[in-house]
Amino acid sequence: MRSKFKRYLAAAVAVLVAIVWAFPVYWMINSSFLTPLTISGLDPTFLPFGGTLQNYRDVTTETPFFEALQMSVIVVAVALIVCIAFATLAALAISRFRFRGRKSFVLVIILVQMLPAEAMFIAQYQMISGLGLLNSIAGVSIIYVAMVVPFTIWMLRGFVAGVPIELEEAAMVDGCTRFGAFRRITFPLIAPGLVASGVFAFIQVWNEFALASVLLTDDEAQTLPLWLRDIAQQSNLGAPEWGQIMAGSVLVAVPVIIFFVIVQGRMAQGLVGGAVKG
Amino acid sequence: MRKITPIAVTMATVALVACGSDDGDSATEATDAPAETTADEGTDAPAGTTSAEESDANASDGEDITLWLAGTDTPDAALTYLTETYASTTGGDLSIEQIGWGDLIPSLTAALPDSSSTPDVFETGNTQTATFSAVGAYSDLTPYYDELGGDELLQGFVEAGSVGDAVYSVPYYFGSRFPWYRKDLYEAAGVEVPGTLQEFTEVNATLKAAGSGAYVPGQDWRNGIAWIFANGGDLATYDGGEWTAALSSDESIAGMEMWQELFATASVAGATDTDETAYQAINDEYLPDTAVGTTLAPNWAYWSLGDISEDEDGEAVATWDPETFGAYALPGVDGGLAPVFAGGSNIGISAASENQDAALELMGIIFSDEYQTLLAENGLGPANTEFGSVYVDSAADPEIAQISLDTAAGAKLTPAAPGWTSVEEQQLLEQFFQAVAEGGDVASLAAEYDDKINAVING
Amino acid sequence: MSIVVTTKPDADPDFDPSTPKRKRKKARSPKLPYWLTLPAVAALVVGLAYPLGWQVLNSMREYGLRQQFGEDATWLWFANYTDLLTDGFFWTVVIRSLVFMAATALATMGLGILLALLMKATPTWARVMLQSALLLAWAMPIVAQMTVWNWLIDSRNGVLNYLLSKLPGVDMIGHNWLEEPLSFFFVASLIITWASVPFVAISVYAALTQVSEEVLEAAQLDGANARQKLVHIIMPIIRPVLVILLLLQFIWDLRVYAQIQLLQDLGPKGDDYDLLGTYIFGLGIGQGRFGLAAAAAMIVLLITLCVSGFYVRELLREDAR
Repeated sequence: MRSKFKRYLAAAVAVLVAIVWAFPVYWMINSSFLTPLTISGLDPTFLPFGGTLQNYRDVTTETPFFEALQMSVIVVAVALIVCIAFATLAALAISRFRFRGRKSFVLVIILVQMLPAEAMFIAQYQMISGLGLLNSIAGVSIIYVAMVVPFTIWMLRGFVAGVPIELEEAAMVDGCTRFGAFRRITFPLIAPGLVASGVFAFIQVWNEFALASVLLTDDEAQTLPLWLRDIAQQSNLGAPEWGQIMAGSVLVAVPVIIFFVIVQGRMAQGLVGGAVKG
Repeated sequence: MRKITPIAVTMATVALVACGSDDGDSATEATDAPAETTADEGTDAPAGTTSAEESDANASDGEDITLWLAGTDTPDAALTYLTETYASTTGGDLSIEQIGWGDLIPSLTAALPDSSSTPDVFETGNTQTATFSAVGAYSDLTPYYDELGGDELLQGFVEAGSVGDAVYSVPYYFGSRFPWYRKDLYEAAGVEVPGTLQEFTEVNATLKAAGSGAYVPGQDWRNGIAWIFANGGDLATYDGGEWTAALSSDESIAGMEMWQELFATASVAGATDTDETAYQAINDEYLPDTAVGTTLAPNWAYWSLGDISEDEDGEAVATWDPETFGAYALPGVDGGLAPVFAGGSNIGISAASENQDAALELMGIIFSDEYQTLLAENGLGPANTEFGSVYVDSAADPEIAQISLDTAAGAKLTPAAPGWTSVEEQQLLEQFFQAVAEGGDVASLAAEYDDKINAVING
Repeated sequence: MSIVVTTKPDADPDFDPSTPKRKRKKARSPKLPYWLTLPAVAALVVGLAYPLGWQVLNSMREYGLRQQFGEDATWLWFANYTDLLTDGFFWTVVIRSLVFMAATALATMGLGILLALLMKATPTWARVMLQSALLLAWAMPIVAQMTVWNWLIDSRNGVLNYLLSKLPGVDMIGHNWLEEPLSFFFVASLIITWASVPFVAISVYAALTQVSEEVLEAAQLDGANARQKLVHIIMPIIRPVLVILLLLQFIWDLRVYAQIQLLQDLGPKGDDYDLLGTYIFGLGIGQGRFGLAAAAAMIVLLITLCVSGFYVRELLREDAR
């Protein structure tokens, strides 16, 4: 009896917390469907009934949204693929082998993540400019890969270490090549880890704007965060155009939400795997 | 026609190869003219060739250059004019990039020193230009000064872009600041347009007692420094090769105390409000209770003030209504006009550019009669005062354009000190004004911020 | 493979059984690990070596805007460092950032753990609902987060002030939440906590699911109370997760930059609203004092190391096996 009551109470609290946590997201979506005049009123409008798609039309037609989306998707895809590939190999090396310099490598991986990036913009710009890669996908990707690779290695090494080496060796005894053993045995087992660390790399790259604002000056080479910041700074009659800003925010958030929904199950599994076994 | 004829070409013009990043860049998205169209109109470029081939074929007279403009203040018509005219006079491509004001300083700092990344011609805010002059980011424009407009150019801006007698950047457009007011609210409160600066405070205090008041944001130093200027004070003085902050001079303190009184007795804005929100406060329905009677804003606020209605897209639009809305120049301490802080920007050629003569050609186009007229017609105060009458005549409201022109003539700028950008980036004046607005002791705050400014003002 | 000999043989007994096999393998392909790390090392070198070298070098030089435009930079050794370390304001920002970091990270951890326990106690449908809400918040890109929150707390017609004013006797319309530094940092901390709790809650919940029900039931039969179960059974299992999470929160909250910068763009200006990230940015890009900014970045790196030193040591020791 008492425990049943407790469960109901817990459910009620959970629902309440869920509402509070999701409210800003709801508010963003709600406001994105309201007309500027409705929004500029002093009383908030809580439901988007009789709403309009005008805000979405405005932000997608009056601004280079699709160019920015394309740029962001390509940059994220390039950085993510390269980063996961490199990090998996490195994670294999440090969790499967002892070798000279291994400890320094691990130390560097940790230290690099603690480095404040704000003082290096000029140098990064000089470097990318020197390579002739300003306003290019390759330019930002180089920096982004270096930015996310350390954390990805760190996360993945726990997963690789969690796969008993005996399994791989058994496969090799059965006639698999070393690579084959990795592909058939280890790779499937560390897949949740790849997903979880991929999510982190994805979020970091998708969000980055400080460096992008310096490296991507060309209006045609903007990523979505830059695009959204531009919209957020535009105003009509001095007042922020909340409807359009919220519509823009929804558009930037939607790809991430879709990505999260797809990888959801594996992500939770992955989050704990690396840490517990690390 | 005031067109620059390329004088002796001093820079090598074979540097196109090094400018790889410019190749293949067509005009910006904001510019509607595609490169191919302009090439067709070009006199010496073979029609139908791509821009890359074209630049190779006409390396000597068709260089591709880049212009960085700050923000989106320059109207689209002017952008199109620039790219088309540049293409037809030189056969090269002009690529225009509009850098947001917030990213401008980082982008310029990173890009200007290196010839492979620098824009050839760039615009900066007139308070930022001195920093770049001081470090040698500009090519010397002194020999071409007369061709660009000479003494007809707004002298306050020219000064900001000069080091000694050498001119490094010239004014691009100007804005000025003055009070905008509600005729209906003034009438209801029984007050008239003030004739002196002290009356300005009194008028607005009366308005506040009647339920409206003035919108004087606490951090709004850009409007507030007019009180320092009007009292004969200055932000900093130049003596013996050194800049020294002058907030604690008697005149400056007197000005700030007047401003403090204004804030305390007549303002309905908060101490941390910025000038960004000031415009619309005199529109109806902006503030919860009543509209504000007076606000201080730049001349381009014209487009944001008036009766609010909804256009066909559901966008709120302001329609200027001369029955209810008006403007006047800020009066001086003893009447007349107070010197206000001018807004606007300067433009110059990057010293690292490898297309110096082509950049000069572009400067010629910018300062041509046609382009200055175009700017004036689009409501940007033309840097060349000869076009002031065009500006006034073509303005939607000539009366306001005249006020804007009059105040600009007496306007002052921030010190042309190498470290002034640091002062702005650190937002020292925002902090100083906010502290004064919060009721602090002006003299001791002035001394404190003088120290802070002195630490960085000389670069 | 002399390295194997020099590492402490007793560092990790768990690994002893596999050690002979490992040795054999290493003997077969001693170069392989180097080839495996090569791409990652190359990526780091390409992306970081130059900027990092530039930073270390210029932290010891007089490097400002003039030098950026070609003037010679004077070698200063540690003058930039001593300038900063003797500057009272720098320490103000350091302490402010540390307090901000501690408050935000602990709030995030506390709430995250509570929500994870809640998920454990609640029926499945309610748990899925809560998880979905958390995922939504987590998925919000930072710029979108900040614009939404800015709109929620807008002083004129934000919904927060509106709702608070519905309470009897409260009138918050027109209240500017970003005005006072303390209130500003409270809002910043709130937003960051809101955005980071989902990660913590979901990770801790995943760790909790590893605690076997049988063991808990057995403990129950043995008369263990809730607290004893938590301390003796649950904690040891989820402890490694908590340690990593706490470390990550520390690192992230100490070097927070984007949120503070975006919040500053919305109104309050000046160094009273700075944390280390925006302070370094302002020093370098803002004022063009790159040498000083580089030195500040190096000091922040050291501070981060001190804060997380315990964990880094633990990690390296564990790694030496």
